[in-house]
Amino acid sequence: MEFDVMIIGGGLAGLTAGLALQEKGKRTAIVSAGQNALHFSSGAFGLLDREDPFGAVAELDEDHPYARIGADSLRTFAEKAKGLFARAGIELNGNPLGNGFRLTPQGALKRAWLTLPEVDLFPDEAAVKGHKVLIVNLLGYLDFNTSFLALGLEKKGCTCRVETLRLPEMERLRQNPSEMRSVNIARVMDNAWVKVAGEVKSLLKDEDWVILPQVFGLRDATVPSQIRETVPARVLFVGTMPPSVPGMRTQMQLKRAYEALGGTFLMGDEVLSAETGEARVRSVETRNIGRIGAKDFILATGSYFSKGIASDMNHVYEPLFAADVIQDEGRGSWYDPNFFNPQSFLSYGVATTPGFKVLKEGVPFENLYAAGSVLGGCRSLALGCGAGVALVTALSVAETI
Amino acid sequence: MTLQEYTSSSHNFEECMKCTVCTAYCPVVPANPKYPGPKQAGPDGERLRLKDPFFFEETLKYCLNCKRCEVACPSGVKVADIIQAARIRYSKSKPKLRDRILASTDFMGTLARPFAPVVNGMTGLGATKAVLDATFAIDKHRTFPKYAFKGFESWFRKEAPDQSRFPEQVAYFHGCYVNYNFPQLGKDFVKVMNAAGIGVSLLDKEKCCGVAMISNGMIDGAKKHAAHNVAVLGKAVESGKKILTTSSTCTFTMRDEYPELLGIDNGKVRDSITLATRYLYEKIVAGEVKLPFKKDFHAKIAYHTPCHMEKLGWGVFSIGLLKMIPGIELTVLDSNCCGIAGTYGFKKENYEVSQAIGKPLFDQIARVAPDYVACDCETCKWQIEMSTGLEVRNPISVLAEALDI
Amino acid sequence: MSNRKDNEFDVIIVGGGITGAGTARDCALRGLNVLLIERHDIATGATGRNHGLLHSGARYAVTDRESATECIEENMILRRIARHCVDETDGFFITLPEDDLAYQTKFVESCTAAGIRAEIIDPKEAIRLEPSVNPDLIGAVRVPDGSVDPFRLCAANMLDAKLHGAKILVYHEVIEFIKEGDTVRGVRVRDNRSREIKDFYAPVTVNAAGIWGHHVAALAGANIGMFPAKGALLIFAHRVNSIVINRCRKPANADILVPGDTVCVIGTTSTKVPFEECDNMYVTPDEVDLLLTEGAKLAPALATTRILRAYAGVRPLVSADNDPSGRNISRGIVCLDHETRDGIKGFVSITGGKLMTYRLMGEQAADLVCKKLNINKKCETAVLPLPGSEGGKTEEVSKKIWSVPSAPQKAAAGRAGTRAKVIPLDNPLDQALVCECEEVSSGEVRYALDHLEVDNLVDLRRRTRVGMGTCQGGLCACRAAGMIAEARGCAEKAEADLKGFLNERWKGMYPIAWGNTLREAEYTQWVYNYVLGLNEQ
Repeated sequence: MEFDVMIIGGGLAGLTAGLALQEKGKRTAIVSAGQNALHFSSGAFGLLDREDPFGAVAELDEDHPYARIGADSLRTFAEKAKGLFARAGIELNGNPLGNGFRLTPQGALKRAWLTLPEVDLFPDEAAVKGHKVLIVNLLGYLDFNTSFLALGLEKKGCTCRVETLRLPEMERLRQNPSEMRSVNIARVMDNAWVKVAGEVKSLLKDEDWVILPQVFGLRDATVPSQIRETVPARVLFVGTMPPSVPGMRTQMQLKRAYEALGGTFLMGDEVLSAETGEARVRSVETRNIGRIGAKDFILATGSYFSKGIASDMNHVYEPLFAADVIQDEGRGSWYDPNFFNPQSFLSYGVATTPGFKVLKEGVPFENLYAAGSVLGGCRSLALGCGAGVALVTALSVAETI
Repeated sequence: MTLQEYTSSSHNFEECMKCTVCTAYCPVVPANPKYPGPKQAGPDGERLRLKDPFFFEETLKYCLNCKRCEVACPSGVKVADIIQAARIRYSKSKPKLRDRILASTDFMGTLARPFAPVVNGMTGLGATKAVLDATFAIDKHRTFPKYAFKGFESWFRKEAPDQSRFPEQVAYFHGCYVNYNFPQLGKDFVKVMNAAGIGVSLLDKEKCCGVAMISNGMIDGAKKHAAHNVAVLGKAVESGKKILTTSSTCTFTMRDEYPELLGIDNGKVRDSITLATRYLYEKIVAGEVKLPFKKDFHAKIAYHTPCHMEKLGWGVFSIGLLKMIPGIELTVLDSNCCGIAGTYGFKKENYEVSQAIGKPLFDQIARVAPDYVACDCETCKWQIEMSTGLEVRNPISVLAEALDI
Repeated sequence: MSNRKDNEFDVIIVGGGITGAGTARDCALRGLNVLLIERHDIATGATGRNHGLLHSGARYAVTDRESATECIEENMILRRIARHCVDETDGFFITLPEDDLAYQTKFVESCTAAGIRAEIIDPKEAIRLEPSVNPDLIGAVRVPDGSVDPFRLCAANMLDAKLHGAKILVYHEVIEFIKEGDTVRGVRVRDNRSREIKDFYAPVTVNAAGIWGHHVAALAGANIGMFPAKGALLIFAHRVNSIVINRCRKPANADILVPGDTVCVIGTTSTKVPFEECDNMYVTPDEVDLLLTEGAKLAPALATTRILRAYAGVRPLVSADNDPSGRNISRGIVCLDHETRDGIKGFVSITGGKLMTYRLMGEQAADLVCKKLNINKKCETAVLPLPGSEGGKTEEVSKKIWSVPSAPQKAAAGRAGTRAKVIPLDNPLDQALVCECEEVSSGEVRYALDHLEVDNLVDLRRRTRVGMGTCQGGLCACRAAGMIAEARGCAEKAEADLKGFLNERWKGMYPIAWGNTLREAEYTQWVYNYVLGLNEQ
């Protein structure tokens, strides 16, 4: 098989690059070794955990992808990202040129840039103050902790009441001791949501907010808004423990949009090796398809979890091309003993040129670009820039190609 | 080896991050609460079984072995292999007579075919279905695939001498279904290959690939079949032939289940076994083959990706090939399990689950309203035909009809 | 006795490890009114930080006959009284090409002399029985080693003491001894949670505080020369072996591999550490490297097996000479009557020994206590089964309770033995799993919260194995914390607990965080510090 561009990795960065390139008329393929980090989405995308994300670019390390793109181009790509999603049928909330806040399952506020359709984006912290909140959970659902959510909100001056629904529709699911999970509940809720909305309505007293777990709208993205129309209060959908229902749906929507544009999505396949020479990648070998050739290649393989980078006792490495990896010597310096402090290992990843061409022994591949969390030099968790880096670097690379 | 360079183990269950993506894509979990789910049955259960075999659960039999968990797993864990291997290793329940009957596709075929009109008549009768339902727990809703009076092999015997006129030769693993139930697919295959300038020969007495035996716990039988097939496939490969098939499940079983589950080394033949659609697609793309199509062909087709096709990752080839046919209006259905999973759906105890699993697919097919459905798997064909009333054709048969010869 | 105030007891036991628990049970079975005080939770010291090896005594047969004999006797007793804590795996002592095969003869002779069954088997047979063993072995001896779950054993002893009237106070620390002249009358303790100070009185106080017994004795005015010897261990993510594997040579580093519950453990190292470090044990990269290198010699698969965590404990050795390694010190029991030794009346120390001989230590301490109290009651701990141990194997026990046990019921029976019958596990809500790796159900968690003196998530882990599996709490910590919050009506403390628990898990993970463990760490970081935003709280 031959393509214009071969994208390795089917997560947020890979799909974004694929969509952008298909729109430009390129023939592309995405090979995805299993599902991706969208399944663990918070329901929101972070650009940078700063009040003015664009103004803060100047303060970032020089290796940070935004520092390389520059604040001006960052603005352009930020706007493009929202448009790209809209064309894929996903209307994200938020102004692409500014930050807001999302409410976490722990009742904390975290800075967010754009959110998935059912996830509220608050303009400021004051927007969460002083509400009367009805939090509704489903009986026996352990991945949505109402006590912590209530605690967090009460610290912000809200008053909370927690109620639990027992729906006969859930009893069948309950017979399985391990499957009372967001996605399975969401499958039940695809049909049972009308009942939930009705029950919530009858539970409502003088509350102005209702909070439900994100277990609605797996197949039909309009379900959350239909619930909102039924319940006479502001209904918020707050995240659960993974898998993320909105994240999973978004992945399916993006993949469908990509395929509708003529892209070839190879799900469950894996690049085993690559043929390289004279600073170029000629082809890759996948487990299912065999050799796939392309003019350009994008490495969007993700971080440790997705195996875009790997580690042994002494090194962090990039397994496919043996690309250069930004890292500290010796594992003693990889970690902070406090789990809640920033961890050095989370910033490791592939070294590139300022234009995101992948470096190997200091020499760039002419036609291999890196995008998303495989990139080194950014503490995406601490900086809250994971999704932003994925979207922006993917768009930047797509533009270069 | 460097210490800790790889930290996997047999069937790599240690790669599991407990992210639960597998259960999100398992078709059985939403339909059957008795099934523990792929994560619990697979990598989680494996640790417990290593501690004490008592932790093996017979409910692992509800796994369809559709491999969709493996396709979805971000960690590359062979979830379904772990589950099937556990069944092989720990299950104490012996296959029932019913399971043996269902699993012995070629034996049944040999017996039934000479009496095809009688057998077909009988298995189609309400009274017989009730008896099968009550005695053998084969669900009465099921229609047994009809047995062909004249098998594909005997039809081919007459065709064989003519095949040598082609410079390029391939071997055809037709499988039980083509031989006993639906020789037309085999005939279509020969027609298409000949049109592509390729001659066809059969293997030196192929046996059932063994997939039904594997899923019914008849591992020794499956191993015997596998060993036999690897030997006869080997002969064909030695004579320089590729082995083509028209069934995604037979292909997957011979390529991947033989070594992974049965421990049968197929290293010499594995890469030579391929689906006819893939073979043709690659030949056409490489410019080595050009097929003559009718100018006035028209069909609205919905393509269904069978589970094992999804696992093979070869849907692109069948879809790509269908797209080459002028006048075709093709919808690729969302990749969902149809629920039959070989003999699984035939069993009375699985009927409702089987239909519940397939429902999203049937619903989508109804929305698309195609002329017929295309798919590379014979058991999906039975299920979709029974559940939607639409005809299901193998892409090779679609191609055969669209050829202008 | 009926007029006694509720802060007066027959005996106060200081220390909630296995020695304290065993002593408390023994005293309670003899009818004494017992108070046990522990400054943290049960089994937080050396009890919870060892191999979990049910020693046959073979390891000591050549160098320490007395310990070896004690071990084999206690080994046989524990198989009877602690069936749900013990896994009768058997053990191998293997000789590798680099070892001296002549040692094997001496080893078998010494075992036989100590009463330990030691059977030389063909290396091929050893490989057949235990496929993970180093295939290069040149000799193998089979001995009655096994594995024992120290948390379960400690908890079962505590429970039996409680069932026989003992009072257990966890998170209570002795801050001073109440003395009248040379006589200890009781202890002043601080409730480490409420900071409240309380006094308790008893004619005898037993110091069973392990390595911290050095400090406890000092508070009472006695000096015990103790020798803190750190031992580091690694836990692998699944059972690589089903038979204990030892090296047939003079005891050295990392020469025992023990399968325990769902995991296996390699250890140990031995390093002298200062007393100040005993409260904060950490594992160094050098120790990890050593354990892995040596461990892979026992079972080569360890080189490619995922490691779950690293941990270290401190052996409470009583120093006898100036041996810098601490290995030549007897593991023997030291029972000190401070009245005869130091002129301090009403004070006893029970120390030295090891997990294997905890029952005997309890017996010796209780004998001394009874002597001081002029009570003439026989020890029964060697014959009465512990609560939960009245049945047989998990299969038998669980089928007796439920006839067709579900997976969560099987798992509960595996942990609680016959006591599983008192755990609510009949309806689907109770069977819903909290920890999926270890199959810990909601019913088990709720039972532990209500009945087993659980203060926080780490305590819950010790009693149920919540968070001890592959994901190290990644999936279940939040669920369990939510259940604590609801059960206790205090979300703030539960949230702090959750953070404490994740830090406690991370402490054991980061020394070995590479490969899959690093992947898991990234995932857990993502979920808790980003999706949940726990770091903001």
